Amino acid sequence: MEGLQAAMIRSELEEVVGAGHISTDATERLVYSTDWFWLPQMWLDRGEALRKPDFIVRPGSAEEVSAVLQIANTYRIPVVPWGGGSGSQGGALSICGGIILDTKRMNRIIEIDERSLTVTAQAGINGTQLEWALNEKGLTLPHYPASANCATLGGYLSPRGTGTISTKYGKAEDLVLRMQVVLPDGHILRTPVVPQHAAGPDFFRIFLGAEGTLGVITEATMQLDYLPAVRLLRAVLFDDLGAAIEAGRLIMTRRLDPFVIRLYDPRSTASRIRKILGYELEGAYMVIGFDGDADLAALQEQKAMEIIDRLGARDLGRGPGESWWNHRYDFYYPPQSLKLPWMYGTTETVTTYDKIEKLYYAEKRAVEEGFKDWDIDFIGHFSHWFHWGVMVYTRFIIRNPPEDAQAAARLHNRVWNTAMTAVIKHGGMINEHHGVGLKLSRFMRRQYGDAWPLLERIKQALDPSGIMNPGKVGF
Amino acid sequence: MSASAIDNCRYCLMCRHAAPVGHVMHDEAVTPHGIALVAASVQRGLLEWNTSSISALYAEPDSGNCRAHCITDQRLPAAVAAIRATVCAKGLAPSAVYKVHERLVRNGSAFGERVFASGGAEAALFVGDEAHNLWPDCVASARQLLRAIGTDVVPVGMGASTGYMACSLGFPDTARDHARACIEEVRITGARMVLVLAPVDLFTFRQLYPERLGITWPSEIALVDLASFLAARLAEGVLRLHDGQSDAAYVDPTHAVRAQERFAPVRALCVAALGRPPRELFWRKERAHPVGSTALQFSRPGIAEALTRARLKDAQATGASSVLCEDPGTLYQLERYAPDYDLKVAGLYETLATLTRA
Ligand SMILES: Cc1cc2nc3c(=O)[nH]c(=O)nc-3n(C[C@H](O)[C@H](O)[C@H](O)COP(=O)(O)OP(=O)(O)OC[C@H]3O[C@@H](n4cnc5c(N)ncnc54)[C@H](O)[C@@H]3O)c2cc1C
Repeated sequence: MEGLQAAMIRSELEEVVGAGHISTDATERLVYSTDWFWLPQMWLDRGEALRKPDFIVRPGSAEEVSAVLQIANTYRIPVVPWGGGSGSQGGALSICGGIILDTKRMNRIIEIDERSLTVTAQAGINGTQLEWALNEKGLTLPHYPASANCATLGGYLSPRGTGTISTKYGKAEDLVLRMQVVLPDGHILRTPVVPQHAAGPDFFRIFLGAEGTLGVITEATMQLDYLPAVRLLRAVLFDDLGAAIEAGRLIMTRRLDPFVIRLYDPRSTASRIRKILGYELEGAYMVIGFDGDADLAALQEQKAMEIIDRLGARDLGRGPGESWWNHRYDFYYPPQSLKLPWMYGTTETVTTYDKIEKLYYAEKRAVEEGFKDWDIDFIGHFSHWFHWGVMVYTRFIIRNPPEDAQAAARLHNRVWNTAMTAVIKHGGMINEHHGVGLKLSRFMRRQYGDAWPLLERIKQALDPSGIMNPGKVGF
Repeated sequence: MSASAIDNCRYCLMCRHAAPVGHVMHDEAVTPHGIALVAASVQRGLLEWNTSSISALYAEPDSGNCRAHCITDQRLPAAVAAIRATVCAKGLAPSAVYKVHERLVRNGSAFGERVFASGGAEAALFVGDEAHNLWPDCVASARQLLRAIGTDVVPVGMGASTGYMACSLGFPDTARDHARACIEEVRITGARMVLVLAPVDLFTFRQLYPERLGITWPSEIALVDLASFLAARLAEGVLRLHDGQSDAAYVDPTHAVRAQERFAPVRALCVAALGRPPRELFWRKERAHPVGSTALQFSRPGIAEALTRARLKDAQATGASSVLCEDPGTLYQLERYAPDYDLKVAGLYETLATLTRA
């Protein structure tokens, strides 16, 4: 954007946030042109330019966010909320230019209520910084995504994130009591004080998973826990993946309350576990953990081990379980993390226990057979367990993708089409915790079927000018 | 090495929580990831080195925080310094950078004049540029404390830049000259042990020299952290002090994260100086953020000021009425803005010196 229009918009934005909190600098715009989605990263890696935002704006309050959105409505320009930019789905890409609304100036902890065990904080606070502050009081926000070091509270909630200990403590969305949200027209609202009530519909959940398409989360009250007295971890090895999934199902349906069950498929066990933890094993590696009071955790562990034992697993002891816990984020640091010029994607999905194994093999077969010419690798682990089913974190890796950016993008999208078609066909959701973003936007209509028009109507009612994060989440 | 740190960090965000400049500026472009992405984009022809990109390049504080929190030890600060060197060589760096470089070449000091040591002793106290020119009281106090425990030192490197500043700004040849001059001066005194006042010098001598300049600190000369040395004498009962009394907050000095073995001993000294444990900042120990005492004070003074103010605000939140630190560079920066926060600034060595018992 150039000329008079750009100058007008800039001067109006400056009036709201101050000249020091708005940037049109070319270098900054390039940095904000990509989030953690493989496609734009590859694009830049190949020396191709991306569409950049026109303005980077850093509001300091909900009122400033409101005023920015009103300006965007006047000029009909897109607004893309940005937390840490760590999203892997392209949700924070400014594919139509416009304003990147970086929330990180809104990073205050407003209140820690040690009686109700809640924290109220602004949405732009960094995850680990929030956790450090809570830990000083012996408290924890039990949402431990591998991206806590870079993600924000708003970014936890907006794509419905899931952390390492979600199996006991729930997803980010299960931990939120209350939010302050700025609607696309600038109206500021607060959701009710608690989420569990019978005073009308649970309307506020529409902002969870909206990924900035229905407004901007500016504040949230989150449920906390005490830091546990103990964390008991151990690892076991199954010969058979099916038996391992069954063990997980039995542990969950008997409500033994593990804080983690992390089950690696044989391919991941042979590659990732070997590379990062250094164990050379054949089979399905499972880490299981119980936390809280020592006696209770020990009893839960004992009951779980009886199930695991019955299903024929080998107990590897505490060391390998603790080692996994201590190194659980190493998987995400270079050079261990998947890295360009490789092509990769996390095609994670979730469904009920009756379907999960079939779904996993169907997706694996479709991807491996469909792209065997590319020597594609397909690995996975089952990491977020529910009473009714489990999420499987599947990944594809192509080590020698096309060098040409356009050809690489086409191949990437074909793999995703294949994977998501298999997922939808076998009763899975196109995503469990990374969100939809741009990457999966084209699958939303298929995923929702008859229910999709309702979502479109909600979007139309809240954002008639379509300024909020266009092209994402199917909108 | 440089290329791989740039490529590894350009899409890695895992030190964001600990990265000080991103935290105070709320700007992706001045995070380790952002700066690496800028450098990688120049390599790929998506950007060129111009005022805008160079401004991002010079926002890297070289405080060691990103590396201290990187489990795969990516040496981004060194990689950035190497890129700055190419930018400097092309004449593209900000004019303030060349101005300070001129002073560094002319005077061997960024802040004043360099004075060479005379005389010899078994032990030397490395004074450096900041202590000599910006916060001289700490030198006299450090010597008084050392005398009290029977350690005679010859002061060396008075007003001398160690090479850290030149290297960080992008002038490795000047840095090598400074490094050689410092080592030579120590050698001439015949000292077998060199005591340093602050972590910046410890880091420079033991890590920056070999890693970035290819220069090794002479193995026959022990490098010793003064605070740790004094804390050990205090524990042995050799250093005897009257009880201190203050509710000060302790500010971990810039580069503290690069010498983590000092956290406990320096706090033991604080307890002696204050008569109680110091009030602790949120950004302390492993997560200690720097003040603006790095090359940022010349290249990006606005960011340097923001860092210093953030530390003062952090100290203010502890309820303290004063702040305590041992590093002359950090003390000088804190002193500049402390009145805005109703805080007094006290040097740890000076405070301890007033408490020495015969
Ligand atoms: C190394 C690594 C590991 C990861 N591990 C996990 C994991 O374990 N679990 C997990 O769930 N995810 C994980 N992710 C994905 C990602 O980090 C999370 O989705 C994270 O919560 C995103 O937060 P963010 O602040 O970076 O959001 P961004 O990437 O900035 O934004 C994500 C989406 O949310 C929108 N948004 C951001 N803030 C707001 C707001 N305040 N209001 C409205 N919309 C907003 C954006 O527009 C965008 O659509 C990982 C990512 C990385 C890089």
